[in-house]
Amino acid sequence: MTTADHPLDEDITEGQKIVSYSVNRQGEYELVPEFIWQPVNVVNHQAWREIEKKIARSRQKILAGQVSCLHYYMTANQMDPALLAQYTGQSRWKVLMHLVPFIFKRLSLDTLRSYAQLFRISVDDLSKGRLEPPVYNRK
Amino acid sequence: MPDFPHHQSAHCESGVAANLLTHRGIKISEAMAFGIGGGLFFGYLPFIRINGLPLVTYRAAAGHILRQIASIPGVRLYQKKFRNREEAMAELDMALASSIPVGLQTGVFWLPYFPKAMRFHFNAHNLVVYGKEGNEYLISDPVFPNPVRCPADDLARARFASGALAPKGKMYYFTALPAKLEHGPLIVRGIQSVCRLMLDTPIPLIGVRGMRFLARRLSKWPRRLGRERADLHLGHVVRMQEEIGTGGGGFRFMYAAFLQESAEIMQEELLHDCSASLTTAGDTWREFAAMAARVCKGRARPDDTYAAMAGSIDRCADLEKKIFIALKQWAKRQA
Repeated sequence: MTTADHPLDEDITEGQKIVSYSVNRQGEYELVPEFIWQPVNVVNHQAWREIEKKIARSRQKILAGQVSCLHYYMTANQMDPALLAQYTGQSRWKVLMHLVPFIFKRLSLDTLRSYAQLFRISVDDLSKGRLEPPVYNRK
Repeated sequence: MPDFPHHQSAHCESGVAANLLTHRGIKISEAMAFGIGGGLFFGYLPFIRINGLPLVTYRAAAGHILRQIASIPGVRLYQKKFRNREEAMAELDMALASSIPVGLQTGVFWLPYFPKAMRFHFNAHNLVVYGKEGNEYLISDPVFPNPVRCPADDLARARFASGALAPKGKMYYFTALPAKLEHGPLIVRGIQSVCRLMLDTPIPLIGVRGMRFLARRLSKWPRRLGRERADLHLGHVVRMQEEIGTGGGGFRFMYAAFLQESAEIMQEELLHDCSASLTTAGDTWREFAAMAARVCKGRARPDDTYAAMAGSIDRCADLEKKIFIALKQWAKRQA
């Protein structure tokens, strides 16, 4: 595998070197700092493409009025209803209910606040349905 | 500023173990910590799903290495999990105040210093906190080249990440250590435990039999799942094998480094040979990964097929079976 396989792909470690074990000329193992192996970038990008696809689908569903904006925040932060339920200390079916726009609009301020805190957005973002980037995409 | 011997490592748990031991005056390499901790493994458990994809693992369960090291006579490891976030952070601060570097299990999703592309909900990460300045913790994260900093709120979130393998604020540090580690018996013990898992398991999903099982299943993926899903499954296997924290070749290179170091310590030619064979096995895993990456990218060469990839994995199984049988017999002779 050549490193010049796809130079446009951004390195997943953002240019930081990682160490790996490789055998030197004397046949001895050394811990050497190097850039990430190219196939690793390929499969990592594949995983992210899949996440991005899910996010795009979620946006469409929100536009079509099928789900509440909570669905976007859940998907964008790589969660499913089960994980989101664990993070907010609720049962899964409650989270599933909150994905329904009709019910989401009638949520109490406290519930909204707990979601907002988790996703690091304001309650206003949630109640107005603004779609902010996920936690890992912000400075 | 507090001082901590930060050495960059290939794997987080063995790296943390080695760094914590080195800090207490017991110099040990990461590969040696990985080996005596019995870190190598293989398991393909399709009934456990990660983001809807089957679990493949090339290493022992999270916490295994530390447990093994903690069970060495004379070693005492203080470990604690928490229910309450404030309590967990307070106890961390207390330990730091008496200048004890503390090992933590965390999730990586909430750690802001992680590269964006690595921020998944993976909860079995390990790091060492060695100081606090204002509202920021000083962290020696073994997979990064240099020590890093992390705001308190983010670290608290990472310690209480939810989902599979939730860390529950787990923290640990050594409270007692022998003056010197006698490597010989620990090496034998570590090798024995890995051999047992790789060869003598009643479950056909782990060890060498697990590799053959994966190979069999993998060759059927395109037919069973369709092209797109099959490629996703394939990419997932490669990520578990090669992504940061594996040292490459699904931990095989790291274990080969351990065998080489052990060969020197014990003056044993056989361990040298096993190390060389394991390097070949690691290379074969990488051949598979490179092929898989080409397939995932839609740049498959004519002979990059699922059948050929299954063949590579079968070759790995053959190689590793020979290696671990030789190691098992060697370990028996040492007892």
